[in-house]
Amino acid sequence: MKKLLTAIFAIASTTCALAQETPTSPLEISGSVDTYFKYDFAKKPNNILTSFASDHNSVSLGMIDLALKKKTGKASFVGELSFGPRGQSQSIPDAANGGSSFHIQNLYINYDFSDKFAMTAGYMGTFIGYEVISPVGNFNYSTSYLFTNGPFQNAGIKATYKFSDKVSLMAGLFNDWNVYSATRGVSSVGGQLMIAPVEGWTAYLNVLSGAGGGGYGTIEDLTTAYQITEKFKLGLNAANYDIDNDGGGYAGVALYPQYAVGSAVTLGLRGEYFKTKDVGPVTGTKYTAVTLTANVKSGGLTFIPEVRLDHNGDKPFFNKNSLSAPNAGQFSLAAVYAF
Amino acid sequence: MAYRKLLRMKKYLTFIMLLTTFARLSAQQKQLPLDDRGKYIYYEVVEVKAINKDSLLKRAADFIHQDYKKSMNLESSTDTSILAKGTLVIDKTLLVAGHPSGEVKYNFTVEFRSEKYRFWLTDFEYIPYQRDRYGNFVASTNIGTPLEKTPSKLNAGQWKDILGGVSVKATKFGEDFKKFLASSRIETAKKKAETISTKKW
Repeated sequence: MKKLLTAIFAIASTTCALAQETPTSPLEISGSVDTYFKYDFAKKPNNILTSFASDHNSVSLGMIDLALKKKTGKASFVGELSFGPRGQSQSIPDAANGGSSFHIQNLYINYDFSDKFAMTAGYMGTFIGYEVISPVGNFNYSTSYLFTNGPFQNAGIKATYKFSDKVSLMAGLFNDWNVYSATRGVSSVGGQLMIAPVEGWTAYLNVLSGAGGGGYGTIEDLTTAYQITEKFKLGLNAANYDIDNDGGGYAGVALYPQYAVGSAVTLGLRGEYFKTKDVGPVTGTKYTAVTLTANVKSGGLTFIPEVRLDHNGDKPFFNKNSLSAPNAGQFSLAAVYAF
Repeated sequence: MAYRKLLRMKKYLTFIMLLTTFARLSAQQKQLPLDDRGKYIYYEVVEVKAINKDSLLKRAADFIHQDYKKSMNLESSTDTSILAKGTLVIDKTLLVAGHPSGEVKYNFTVEFRSEKYRFWLTDFEYIPYQRDRYGNFVASTNIGTPLEKTPSKLNAGQWKDILGGVSVKATKFGEDFKKFLASSRIETAKKKAETISTKKW
């Protein structure tokens, strides 16, 4: 604790001292803390197998997330660490190490060669998909099947060219998914086309091809959000992942309508269809899920009550008697504080 | 031993509480006044004896195109006035460091007469920032909320901080603008940086 405080004050003091000598932005410190209660209607933990919030009938921890950012001239860095189940044992890289350490969310360096062209290298939140690990970045507290099955993070080097405020293009070389160092070399190539056709509407067309979850494959992804009116926002995520040599993959679509019923309260629905692809003789399976969520904001604090119902005809869930069931449901109440 | 640890911990807590109180007091800035339309406004009339109207007009345009080029856009200009739109970034302070918490869009007007000019910022609209997947703070929506709108009880404290932040940033903008118009950038650019010769002594 003492060491951590000393380090923070030392960094902050250095920032103040440097700020008097060179044109530099102050050190940015931000982060979040989240905790939740979840009740599974079949009284089973891990009944719905999407990421995070896995406990049943328990007041449980999410994570504490701490991020530092600084820009000096054209160069900047972001370092973001998380501690707690959501950021450790339930996040993929740290789970591989027994979940006993911490999880790096972002650790990269960026250089702006000009107002239009920038290069970034390091470990970054993935550019694929609508949802993210940090609960601050999501409207719903539970996560989608598309998020759970897609990449969480990509280490690599990428170049971004901004043609205008309405169009930009990113291309990069990446390691395999969710690893701090490559296990199969720099094996993936990825790209992102951002277009903003009208004010308030942004769409990202993403592709990532190479070593990933389950083998070598290619994922195509569309992530878009449109603030249609002051109160109504619509988001969409659609993705298709094919693993080479009939290795499976997935396809799915999720729709995110959100409506602000007041300045502090917003209601949102997530409707998702998701299917896994056949792996050799093993046939894939199909999920549908509906999640109704409210966000109640007071300053940095957001309360997130949520009800979720999932269906799969292949009965992958459990009922109260521990028998396989086609339906599962849960209620959760989360508190997320962003600073 | 445990008592010493307790004392040391107490010292840290006191220090943190003092810093927090200081940060809180610093954040409690005064708010901007309202104009006759009921809109928040930053308004100033400035007397200038030695600079003619045309020079002031050119300097005001240069200020928008040079010093604030990343955050301002010129909308229109006449022989005696300039209209522009701009954005102020509002910061959230945590002890000695912080991060951007949102941006405020505004309309800027400057009018010139002989030996004086006036300028004002008004029609402020707030857009909150949220952290994106890469740890950067970006606008969470494109639709701003007018600063005059009464916030819900849940967010009243935060709104008061935003109003204070806008006052600070608008005042800083005003100081920058007056300073720019009072000095000739061409003369400054021509003036060479002083060098020290070590050959003669």
